[in-house]
Amino acid sequence: MAKAPALVTFRGANLGYEGAVVLQQVDLEIQPGDLIAIAGPNGSGKTTLFRTLLGFLPVLSGALNRNCALSEFGYVPQSSSLDANFPITAREVVEMGGYGRVKCYQGFPAGEKKRLDNVLNQVGLSHLAPRSFFSLSGGQRQRMLIARALMVGPKILILDEPLAGVDPESQKAIGDLLLKLNRDEGIAVFFSSHDLRMVRSVTSKVLRVDGGRVGWEEGPVADHPW
Amino acid sequence: MVSFFEILSPSFLLFPALLGSAILAFVCPLVGAHLMLRHRVFLGLTLPQVAACGVAFTFWISHAVGLSHGTGGERLLAMVGSLVFTLVGMGLLAYLDRHATGSPESRLAAAYAFASALTILFVVFNPAGELEILNLLKGEVISLSKDELKLLAIVYGVVYIGLVLFRREFLLNSFDRDLSFLLTGGGVQWSFWLYVLCGFSIAIGVIMAGPLLVFGFMVLPPLAARALARGMSSFLTMSSLIGLFIAIFGFYLSVRLDLPLGPTDVAFGCVMIFAIYAIQLVVRKSRGATALLAGLIILGVGCAVQKAQAPLDMQALGQNPVWLVSVRNSSGADLRLPDNNPLRSLVEMAGKISSDYRPTVMDLLRGALKRELQQRSVSVSFPEERDARFQSAPVDAQTASAMARAANLSGWLLLCEIRRWHTDGRSPLRTWVEMRLVRIDSGVISWQTQIQKTTPLVGAVRLDEVSADATKEILREAFGS
Repeated sequence: MAKAPALVTFRGANLGYEGAVVLQQVDLEIQPGDLIAIAGPNGSGKTTLFRTLLGFLPVLSGALNRNCALSEFGYVPQSSSLDANFPITAREVVEMGGYGRVKCYQGFPAGEKKRLDNVLNQVGLSHLAPRSFFSLSGGQRQRMLIARALMVGPKILILDEPLAGVDPESQKAIGDLLLKLNRDEGIAVFFSSHDLRMVRSVTSKVLRVDGGRVGWEEGPVADHPW
Repeated sequence: MVSFFEILSPSFLLFPALLGSAILAFVCPLVGAHLMLRHRVFLGLTLPQVAACGVAFTFWISHAVGLSHGTGGERLLAMVGSLVFTLVGMGLLAYLDRHATGSPESRLAAAYAFASALTILFVVFNPAGELEILNLLKGEVISLSKDELKLLAIVYGVVYIGLVLFRREFLLNSFDRDLSFLLTGGGVQWSFWLYVLCGFSIAIGVIMAGPLLVFGFMVLPPLAARALARGMSSFLTMSSLIGLFIAIFGFYLSVRLDLPLGPTDVAFGCVMIFAIYAIQLVVRKSRGATALLAGLIILGVGCAVQKAQAPLDMQALGQNPVWLVSVRNSSGADLRLPDNNPLRSLVEMAGKISSDYRPTVMDLLRGALKRELQQRSVSVSFPEERDARFQSAPVDAQTASAMARAANLSGWLLLCEIRRWHTDGRSPLRTWVEMRLVRIDSGVISWQTQIQKTTPLVGAVRLDEVSADATKEILREAFGS
């Protein structure tokens, strides 16, 4: 049986901002059904890799191929990057994931509402949907953002530090959720963290980013102070 | 005194102004809400000033090339200037946002200061028509013509439809630009269209209503709504509804208290915001205090509502004559009517006045009062025809009745005083007249009224014409229709 084409492929890519290279010679393939973590200290280039992958930044040199549309990427930003003064309910945040399919003259269609209820059930937070998004705890906000990404109907989930700033219980809940989505739904998951021990508890496929280079993590956890 | 429901009637003289104000108040908060969500609320202050600068610049240039003021194209020119300056200013600020260093707030503050300074300089450069320019810059929604109202409705209708149709795209773009890029394919394009809609609404709004009202409606309703709303839909809906509420009640207060509309609306909006935040604070503290505050507000509103003043009951006059005293002018304004006033020619021809005499608003009002009373079968005379001391209007009721008794007059004295009678030729005529009916034998005031009216210059371009319109309104209120 032929192997499915990779969802994303980097070949000898240099990544960075306006000519300043942050990551050099990145070679990476993400296959359907992969569960990959990328770990490294703050400022090592994890977010740069994500932003390039999602098309927010151009590749400085080398190649980047995507085998799915950008609208099929479920992106989960850090909840702290969102404006906490925005008057918005959790339900409205999750609804945003469906905006790409709704025409401007339509209300929010019944099919989308059903999908919304489903993804809220998947993350186990239906009861919090009417509450103000920013009144939720860090872990709850993160799960709501995962629900928003699921609302897109993604082939791949990209999560920027989903485990940062949340309590251990929420970290476990989020980790379990990612595993479940990967195993049960077959969604490829690519997430970042600066906590390698925690990352190991979720997946064994770990990319290490440090010193401008990206490579598969093979050494013992204790080797890395971060 | 005009009642609240009267101003809502399409037959009300100033109804077009109310409509214009309501359109502004319904749409501007939506624009302001989007700016607020993007932390660009000061754009709502800076852009109206840039638009005003465009108006002043256009007038200066048009004067320099020899176009005279007062022509029909003046308004159109002003709109073009306002629109061009707003869009160029917005484009420049957007460019600097992307490419310059420093905080956006400081750029907006600098742009505001620059636009304000330029506006004043353009006005100073233009030796002719300074008053007209200042009026236009000040903006008076109350003097909207039907054509201007139509234009306002069309432009704001388009802006409203745009904001409603693409609300999801605009909100997503404001909340999470990255997701907006992934789902709708472009983060910049939605910002661009949002700012174009803002630019049009500001440029046209400034011409129709002035920078103060436009900025007020952009900022105050969303601020009030922010305290109440939990979600985006409710935030946007509440912003518009609160704007509408401020417009209607602000308009009522403005008419009722004879205050300029823009500052009244803005002040009322600020009071509303304080009230909302105060109530919220109290609600959080205790329910008892809430009840107390609500009680105080209801009491305050009850006290603030003035009792409607009854028209003069003609039956109460009996068969006694009414002595109509010279109308007193306390307005401080020179209320002489224009030279070619037709009222003047008959008496002049009869040789009763010298040719350099010019009738006044006081003459006009007194003559109209006399005719009105006579039509109602009341015996009316001028007291100065009996006693020369009445040539000048007495200061108060006691003095007047004492003078009348000294002159052996009997019956009633009708005293009339003009407190305000003002128009700058573009804005509506604002009037405030007080009348007192005094029993001569006792000096007791048996009836009195204060009448405040705002009369638009619709079809009337001269002081005598609009004064005649205002007089009719005043008499209708004083004596009932």
